[in-house]
Formats: sequence, C-alpha cells, structure tokens
Amino acid sequence: MELTVTENLEQELRVEIAGEDHTFMNVLKGALLETEGVAAATYDVNPEQSGGQTEPILTVKTEDGVDPIDALKTAAQRVQEKTDAFRSAFEQAA
Amino acid sequence: MMVPVRCFTCGNVVGEHWEEFKARTREGDEDPEEVLDELGVDRYCCRRMLVSHKDLVDIVSPYQ
Amino acid sequence: MDEDYEVEFVERGDRKALFLVRGVTPAFANGIRRTMIADVPTLAIDEVRVIENSSVMFDEQIALRLGLVPLTTPPAEFDEDDVVTLSIDVAGPATAYSGDLVSADDMVQPADQNVPIIELKDGQRLELEADAVLETGKAHAKHQGGVSVGYRHLQRVEVVGDADEFEESEPNIVRGVVEIDGELVDTAEFDNDLTQKFPGKEVAVHDVEKAFVFHVETDGSMTVEELVNRATDSIESRALELEDAVSL
Repeated sequence: MELTVTENLEQELRVEIAGEDHTFMNVLKGALLETEGVAAATYDVNPEQSGGQTEPILTVKTEDGVDPIDALKTAAQRVQEKTDAFRSAFEQAA
Repeated sequence: MMVPVRCFTCGNVVGEHWEEFKARTREGDEDPEEVLDELGVDRYCCRRMLVSHKDLVDIVSPYQ
Repeated sequence: MDEDYEVEFVERGDRKALFLVRGVTPAFANGIRRTMIADVPTLAIDEVRVIENSSVMFDEQIALRLGLVPLTTPPAEFDEDDVVTLSIDVAGPATAYSGDLVSADDMVQPADQNVPIIELKDGQRLELEADAVLETGKAHAKHQGGVSVGYRHLQRVEVVGDADEFEESEPNIVRGVVEIDGELVDTAEFDNDLTQKFPGKEVAVHDVEKAFVFHVETDGSMTVEELVNRATDSIESRALELEDAVSL
C-alpha cells in the first residue's frame, strides 16, 4: 500500500492508494460513508481506457470544519473495529 | 490425456476422485449420478470434468 | 458506533461450511469474500527441476499438474519468500500420485493423496524436485485457498394467507438458506419450492437486512475457519497500514 496525495484541500482530499483493488477500497469507502462529517466518499480504479492508470484513487469530501485526513483516519479505525467485531463473533460461533 | 487436477470453472480438486469414479462407473456398472453424489462432487461444473474425461495415455504411449 | 455482529453456523466441516452473519454491511461482506478468494496466500509448487521425465507428458505439463495440487499451509508459519522443497520419484509401470510427493517440511503435505499426476508405462520414470512458494490467488489460481466462496442475502419467508383457490399453481423457487419462523432452513429440504413447503398458502419472501449466508469451501490447504480468520486479518492489517500512513 503506497499513498500519493494528489489534492489536499480544506474539505477535499484526493489520494492514490497503490496496490489495492475493490476488495479493500469498497470496504474503506463503506466505512468512510458511515463516518461523521463526511459529505461524500468514492473511489475510482481508473479503467485502462483512461490512459493506463489502474491504481485506485480515493476522493473524500467533508463538511465544514472536518479535516478529510482525520476522517480517513477515523474510517481506517472503523474498518479495524469491524474486523475485530467480526472475528470475535466468528470465534464465538466456531 | 490425464484427468484434470482441478475443475476448470471453480477450482475444486476433482482429480482426487477420478480413480474411484472410473472403477465404479466405467469398469463397474454403477450409475454415475449416484457415484458423483457419494463422492461429494456436487456442482455440475465439477461433475462434467469427470463424466466427460477419457484417459489417453494408453493411446499415445506407443508413439513416444 | 459499535458493531454488533452475530455468526451462526448452518453447516460446518473442515473443508466446507455454511454460516450466517448478521449485522455486516454489504461492502464488508464482499470485502471478506474477495479476500478469501484472492488475498489469502497458500503454498503451491511454482518451480520444478526435472531430473528425469520419460513419461508421455512434457515437463511443463507435469509442472502445471503439480502446481495445482493443494499443499497444507499452516497459519503464520511461512513468509512471502519462503521456499519448501518437495520431491517425487516414481518408476513405471505405475501411476505417480500427489501422495508420492515427499516434502522436506512435515507441516507442508499434499492435501489430497490420490490425484493422478501421470501414468507411467514400463521403463518410464518421473524424478524431479519442486519448490513450493507462498503466493495469493491474485497471482495464480493455484494459490487460491477458497473455492466457490460466496454469499446470499438471507431471506425471510412468511405465510400471509391462503392461496387463491382457482389460480394456476406455479412453483415458487428460493435457494440457499431461508428463515422460516425464526428457524434457518436449507431450501433443499423442500426441493427449493415454497409451494411444497406451504401447499395452498400464499407466502411473502423478504430480504433480511444486513444478514448474509456465506458458503465457503477450501481446496484443503487450510480449514474454513482458518481461511475466514486469515481473510479478516488481511483486511485488518491493511486498515492498520492505512491508519499508520495517514497518522504522520
């Protein structure tokens, strides 16, 4: 996973997350949309027609006064909460 | 030639069951459907791998 | 927001399991599914050094067949660049089986013993050394630990009344596992046809929100439980890596 920030504004962040695909990006996007202060979140694994770029680019827009980098951090923690909860639920059943 | 190790479609290992399948259906006279059910080859993608296979080693070996 | 997940097994075996997960989002369920297929590494033969191959098949055909044989991959024992050497030496007339592979590591063994590799005639011989490496299903399907991994939305079936007496009866097909009166029922029990389970009744079928029935099979390189746990770990470690990268 290699991050390259291409746009970093007060309420908008655009970052390329190299080495990932739908598997992780969609989970992350889902978590971002559940995060407080996030106005919009999406990712695009640019199809090859658009110039050969295939690494996913994540875009996060936030509401007033919320730093998109903080929102991304919160979402990453949320994913871990989810995996933790899933693991313990699975182990309980197993 | 030799039976495929895995099902082309789903990746399940089917080679494991070939010899038993062959012994019971080709050399024996059991119903292939029942044998496949018993072997646990459930999906039709895996079933066709065994049903449609023919060993060819005996046929090509004279030409080595 | 705290997560309230619930897992319930419907069918449970080492290599095949059905389980219901409640509380997860579709995005998360799909993440787990995709990880089980493509991102959980397993060992498989990747390189062979042929000493003698006088069989009717070419070296590379034999190598492909050997690569497809699943090898047991104990959790947390191997790293990306580890190599496990296996060897096979069979002289005809005989058939070389996956079980004839001799591993240098006791923990790494062929998961199935009776896969025919090549039938050897009189005077033919197969002798070679092979290197197994740890890779993910993304790199090559032979490293794919999960086979036919998928999930269905859990559906709830309710009787809402009697069927119209003079209406032509049509089968009402549902598949997988459904919830009837709070019980999980495999639809195969009533031939996937709700009109057989509830003759003369009108039924309603609804998706249960955030409930997914997973179907997981493995190729034998690990148990279903290990596969699910390693998939969960994989997503978690990526989230942690992202968190660290963003926290600078």
